[in-house]
Amino acid sequence: MKYLTYIFRNARRNPIRSLLTIASTCISLFLMMILLAFFDMREDAGKANRVFNRIITMNATGFAGMVPIGRVPEVGRMDGVLATSPFSWFGGKYHDETMPFAQFSVDADSVFKVLDEFHVSESQLADFKANKDGAAIGRRLASDRGLKIGDPLPLKGDLYPVDMDLTVRAIYDGPSNRNLRMCLFHYEYLDEALKKVTMSSASGGSLATDSARTSGNAGMIFIKCKNADIMPSLGRKIDDLYRNSEFPTRTQTEEAFGKMFSDMLGDLQNAIYGIGAAVVVSLLFVASNAMAIAMRERTSEVAILKAIGFSKGRVLFLVLTEAILVAGLGGALGSLGCKAVCDFVDVAKYSAGILPVFFVPWRIALLGLVVSLFVGFASGVVPALLAANSSVINGLRKVG
Amino acid sequence: MCQTSSIVLRSVYKEYRRDEFVIPVLADLDLEVAEGEYLALMGPSGSGKTTLLNLVAGLDQATRGEVIVHGQVLGHLSEAEVTRWRANNVGFIFQTYNLIPVLTAFENVELPLLLTKLSRRKRRENVMTALRIVGLEKREHHYPRQLSGGQEQRVAIARAIVTDPYLLVADEPTGDLDRTTAGEILDLLELLNREFQKSIVMVTHDPLAAARASRVLYLDKGRLVDEVIQETRVSVAS
Repeated sequence: MKYLTYIFRNARRNPIRSLLTIASTCISLFLMMILLAFFDMREDAGKANRVFNRIITMNATGFAGMVPIGRVPEVGRMDGVLATSPFSWFGGKYHDETMPFAQFSVDADSVFKVLDEFHVSESQLADFKANKDGAAIGRRLASDRGLKIGDPLPLKGDLYPVDMDLTVRAIYDGPSNRNLRMCLFHYEYLDEALKKVTMSSASGGSLATDSARTSGNAGMIFIKCKNADIMPSLGRKIDDLYRNSEFPTRTQTEEAFGKMFSDMLGDLQNAIYGIGAAVVVSLLFVASNAMAIAMRERTSEVAILKAIGFSKGRVLFLVLTEAILVAGLGGALGSLGCKAVCDFVDVAKYSAGILPVFFVPWRIALLGLVVSLFVGFASGVVPALLAANSSVINGLRKVG
Repeated sequence: MCQTSSIVLRSVYKEYRRDEFVIPVLADLDLEVAEGEYLALMGPSGSGKTTLLNLVAGLDQATRGEVIVHGQVLGHLSEAEVTRWRANNVGFIFQTYNLIPVLTAFENVELPLLLTKLSRRKRRENVMTALRIVGLEKREHHYPRQLSGGQEQRVAIARAIVTDPYLLVADEPTGDLDRTTAGEILDLLELLNREFQKSIVMVTHDPLAAARASRVLYLDKGRLVDEVIQETRVSVAS
């Protein structure tokens, strides 16, 4: 503790250099925290789905394949199924917004039985069910866009060749870690619009009939099960039933469904981890260079310290602590600052509906802090060893 | 020497190696410095004055021969031991003061005490005593850049004496000062020698500074070539 004054003053000796080193560490770690937290949150969000006892059926070939809408009631009649709803990602544009929010066409009668963690008032739910152009939107989406009951919600088709002129009929709410930014609207409304397009494209249009973007397609089927125990067998049963059909299915738990997205990002995730490692190495060079310059400027001072009795170990400690302090400060600002920013600013609304919530978990923030301390330590090692082993005589530069 | 010897050099030979060149600096030097003596080392550049000072202060090791300071054979000590020994027994005063610019006068003087187990309060007492001796107790919060050259050297002297070492080594302590300020610094060194019984070994080119010492040794090409014992010291005041 008694050396802290000396260490702090030295760290502040060249404020611009120290600030630049701190800033480079801070910014790099801030960005790293966002990326690491993104992947971490995806895994967490997947695990959080376990408790809802839901399985999802999709075309065996993937999202682009078709799941006929007739299968929704078929699956709904199976043992152990409480409710089913089609789920088709619409991905339309709202006004001039470039970042879409999550939009799904669903069965208005059953969707809140399937997504039973959400609640909506009975009158609004009845209104939503009664109006084909009705939309039920999440509380956060309503608050982000200043939408209220009765407001128009026009969605311009991007993936689909149709536009949806919706009206907000219900605003649902739910646990804060769930997606409160979805827009759910009637499957029938989308299907009717698609029928018109499909019919006109039949005489020369390009819309393929087995595509997920045609009428009669459920996209995915969300299935609410009685309990978790029956989910594996029910999934197998559904897939077995359609195995030899024109559109075989793949059924998996909601958690596995979420993980599938992570797996799709697998290579990207590895690439980002690689970039993160490269950032750490380049940070190391920046901090090492700054520390080496600082120590070169202080050659005679180190010699004085050693002359008046500072041991090698003590000089090593002073230099290393200074390096760790500078990098640690940058790391603390970057990692903890990123956590603070993400705690106070709702970053999830910029994730295009991929993440229901976004925050930097403590373990990621602390990992960032540890990385910055490592950078500080590693950047200080060489200059500290050179200083500790430097010759007092040469440092004083006075040979008579 | 009629008094007890504080520093003894026996057949000390020192050479430096620069690449393939061997440069002899001190040649079989014998020397005794009495307890409480004020010794000045003079001679042309390259004569070995500073090397001799470094050997006595434990900053460097003789290639051959023995350096015994206060009964301690320095050659027998490990690097860590000699560092500890310096911290307890030697105070350093340099031509260019060599204060740490980011520390105040107080903090500069306190530096050697950080190596001790003294409490914060005791450290403060000792630092203020040292600053009082050099007449800078009211400048404790000043940074080196806020002090004059003479005042900086006084802070350096306070740093040298704060651990109460028995030996002060001074390498051209007045080299960067004007005549009047140099006189004040020499007065201070004289005071430390006379009143506080500090042994002082000072390297200087300045005959007026050397005149303050009780003995002056002249070196040339690593050998002692002359010795002057001064019964009556010259003082600026006189």
